[in-house]
Amino acid sequence: MKLKKIGASILAMAMATSMLAGCGQSAPAETAADTQPAEQTEAPAAEASATEEAAPAEEAKNIEATEVTFWHAMNGNLESVLTEITDEFNNSNEYGIKVTLVNQGAYGDLQTKLQASAAADALPDLAQAYNNWLTPYLDKIVKLDDFVANDFDNWDDVVEAYRDECSEFGFIHAVPYNKSTYVLFYNKTMLDELGLSVPETWADVQADAKAVMDAKNIAFIGYDDLAGVVEASLHQNGANYVDASGALFNDEKGLETFTYLSDLYNNGYARLVGEDGYFSNVISNQQIASYVGSSAGVSYIKAEGWELGVAPLPGNVNKAANMAGTNIVMFAQDSNKQLAAWEYLKYITSTEAMTKWAVGTGYLPIRQSAYETAEYKAYMEENVCAAACYEQAKDFFFSPTFEASNDIRSTVPSTVEQLVYDKADAQTWLDTIVEAVNAQY
Amino acid sequence: MSQKRKVGNVIATILKYAVLIFGAIFTILPFVWMISSSLKTPSELVQIPPSLFPETPQWVNYQEAWKAAPFARYFVNTLIVTLCTTCGVLVTTVLSAFAFSRLNFPGKKTVFSLFLATLMIPGEMLIITNYETIINLHWIDSYKAMIIPWISSAFYIYLLTRFFMQVPESLYLAAKVDKCSDFKYMIKIMVPMNKQAIFSIAILNIISSWNAFLWPLLVTNSQEMRVLSNGLVRFQTEAGSSTELIMAASCMLVMPIIIIYLFLRKYIIEGVTRSGLKG
Repeated sequence: MKLKKIGASILAMAMATSMLAGCGQSAPAETAADTQPAEQTEAPAAEASATEEAAPAEEAKNIEATEVTFWHAMNGNLESVLTEITDEFNNSNEYGIKVTLVNQGAYGDLQTKLQASAAADALPDLAQAYNNWLTPYLDKIVKLDDFVANDFDNWDDVVEAYRDECSEFGFIHAVPYNKSTYVLFYNKTMLDELGLSVPETWADVQADAKAVMDAKNIAFIGYDDLAGVVEASLHQNGANYVDASGALFNDEKGLETFTYLSDLYNNGYARLVGEDGYFSNVISNQQIASYVGSSAGVSYIKAEGWELGVAPLPGNVNKAANMAGTNIVMFAQDSNKQLAAWEYLKYITSTEAMTKWAVGTGYLPIRQSAYETAEYKAYMEENVCAAACYEQAKDFFFSPTFEASNDIRSTVPSTVEQLVYDKADAQTWLDTIVEAVNAQY
Repeated sequence: MSQKRKVGNVIATILKYAVLIFGAIFTILPFVWMISSSLKTPSELVQIPPSLFPETPQWVNYQEAWKAAPFARYFVNTLIVTLCTTCGVLVTTVLSAFAFSRLNFPGKKTVFSLFLATLMIPGEMLIITNYETIINLHWIDSYKAMIIPWISSAFYIYLLTRFFMQVPESLYLAAKVDKCSDFKYMIKIMVPMNKQAIFSIAILNIISSWNAFLWPLLVTNSQEMRVLSNGLVRFQTEAGSSTELIMAASCMLVMPIIIIYLFLRKYIIEGVTRSGLKG
């Protein structure tokens, strides 16, 4: 825990410094700090397009043997599966391309290192990244539109929400890879025992929560990601969250949303996770009946003496579910390396490799066709989590990225925590969160 | 009268011990907690009310943590980096502190002020610039990159200069009369007289170097060059963390430092109390 905090503060400082370093830099980095993403997208076009135009299509078959570095943050089992798939590519590709995987720790560490390397002009050829990491160095990312148009097996097969997310900046900047979504994990044994059904709507949540509170005196629901729940709940209530101009929910729908959330917390129906950081341990101990968390966390739930159930997120006016997980961006400047890196990206996102990745790790397939393979279907039969994710794939939304989005993401959780401690009413929730969000612009 | 004093003494002693015991428990509890957490099962970890000791110690946590990353290699790397930076720091610090406190050379005050001025810049501010330098030198993924930038410290130099200045000038003059060279005077007189301060500097440097995280992460890419603290993040993901494994790995990480402490505690305590520093 301590390490995490230190890590976070170092990260914050490092980000601040890289901004400063960026200002003092010569050519490429000077746009880093305060340019709008929309403007930045024009800048790199000139330098990148020269290499890109020559790149894909027929000539693609003249790739010289080269080494491609790929920075990732996959640990444990995730890393083993990624290594296995990468080894297969390295051994089987006809061009002698060798992809070197470089583990950069956890997401936060990878983000720090990417940011520092962008300032120092030392980015890898490929890296995993969230969209909201990229704004400071958007100009260093290779545009993938031509690659996708000329040399990709059916981009339309990729789940629509992922395609949208990967072209958020007005061009295709990434290929989706390790994708997950937030789902509702619940203690099936407990709900069955109390004769409760799995909540599908906010009203169900409230009713079930009351029943659990009366019978067991524990909270019904928790949220691993407090920024995520605010955003998802607003969408579920038909409200908007934020855009580049500020908070968009200072209205009746926003108030309704926060009435729902504040009531949950103030009645003890929902609780905060505390120092643990994740509810997986709390539910393992049967101290909460359900929680909303990333599908990638299912392996951390130890269901001993009870049965785990997984369901799509409860909705209200709409159904809406956060997507999580990173995409892969390309920074390689050398045209041969770009081609080589693209071969790798094509390989790991192919239906076959994607199915293997998804079954091996629990991440969601990015392709519709991977969902339809016999192998993945069999996996869904056995894996309640995968089935629930698939069920809500149509309801995915992604968080928009703009200059302030990263700051908003880091501010909202502590704001919500404070409101929960204060047992604030809905109007205070609304006002405080609107204010906290708008302060980031 | 004397009985009253006796009672007073007893009460004072009891109070003294009470405060000390309280302080000791307060200090040691996180360590005990770390060790006991490292031996718990995931569900015992979050049990409410919490248990101080695990029902059956899960030694397998250590096995698993050890397997999760090449910790043996990390350990060797950490050791190399810590030893080299500490030796480097001691050499540069002693030499420059001696120069600033005893020798006369043109621009001494200016240089010393410049040294002090660098203290005002937080280290984190320099990290990107230093990182760029390392890249341009093609030192990425080498011990050099982890050691060379840390072998001198303005703070330690300032500190030791202050200590050296307290040594009476008459000693220096007496040594000069006996035809003692500056270097010999430094080694034979100054260093032994200030060994506690030098010890404190070594300890502080060992601790900070042992725990360094961001810099080693930045300048290394291969598993063979990473250090222990980098290994700890292996147990965290976007969706959960294996706290029991983190704790097991943390125990392995701090154990060497604790062992060093046990052996050297006499010097450490002397050094810290004499120099008024703490880690």
